[in-house]
Amino acid sequence: MRLIGLLFGIAFGFLLALGGLNEYEVIHNMLLLEDFAPYLIMASAVAVAAPVVWLLERRRWSTPFAGALRPGRSRPERHHLAGSAIFGTGWAVAGTCPAPALAMTGSGALLGVVVVGGMFAGLMARDYLETRTGEGLADLDLGMRIAPKPRVGMAEMDRV
Amino acid sequence: MDLLPDRVAWYVVGPLLGLLVAGMFALANKPLGASGSYVQTIAALRRRASEPWRAWYFAGIFIGAVAASALQGRLQLRTGYELMLDVWPLPATVVVLAAGGVVMGYGARMAGGCTSGHGLCGTSARSAASFAATATFMAVAIGVTFVLHWLTGGRL
Repeated sequence: MRLIGLLFGIAFGFLLALGGLNEYEVIHNMLLLEDFAPYLIMASAVAVAAPVVWLLERRRWSTPFAGALRPGRSRPERHHLAGSAIFGTGWAVAGTCPAPALAMTGSGALLGVVVVGGMFAGLMARDYLETRTGEGLADLDLGMRIAPKPRVGMAEMDRV
Repeated sequence: MDLLPDRVAWYVVGPLLGLLVAGMFALANKPLGASGSYVQTIAALRRRASEPWRAWYFAGIFIGAVAASALQGRLQLRTGYELMLDVWPLPATVVVLAAGGVVMGYGARMAGGCTSGHGLCGTSARSAASFAATATFMAVAIGVTFVLHWLTGGRL
């Protein structure tokens, strides 16, 4: 599974750079509605993936690593919307999002390191706030909880 | 090397990304999300990762981008934010980018996903929360970008 993770990451990073999504100006122009290629990339990715997932699930596909295919699904809750509004603000300011920030850094953009470092700090800050224990990630819904106690609004799907 | 064009057409890149998303669902029933890989990378460094493969995924994104940029003949050290540096001096730009990163990380963790986790994977799996999240961050990001554009007198 680790090798698969690495290979999927390599393919993902490779494609992001091929599509130019590792460039600040491409994302910035996308959000200024001057470059529509990134939207078309996202839409065509979903247009390919969605029917495949639908068909596999209908055929009761059994995954080699995790049993029956049952993608996690959640109902929209307040934290999804509030979190996404916060995320969207950061996305607009940094002109890159989590995977492209890594790809940007990989392609030699030194200030990408600042964004990636900020991402780490922000994720940890949220985790800290959620636990309020000072233990950081230890008690969070990262599958790292010792006693599996469901947290409100943090369903399976949320481990993305 | 200059073996690959600077930007490959969306109808090549998008469907291939879609195959990766579908592939990870098909192999392991998992959304291929980037912010989760950040989280698991921190966890792996603390030796308590529940999904260590995501830390490898994190490393892979970096390596894949290095490889693609090399083949495009674009692998070179640069700031990556030349446009922003025309507007603000370097120290201010660093502060803005760090703040942007923190806000992004905080929001992604709260929302349970980012552009890849909700935007590509959750929507592909028809999760209602992901459609709501994607619509929200798209709308907000476009709005904030226009505000930035206006605040900087059109320089950004």
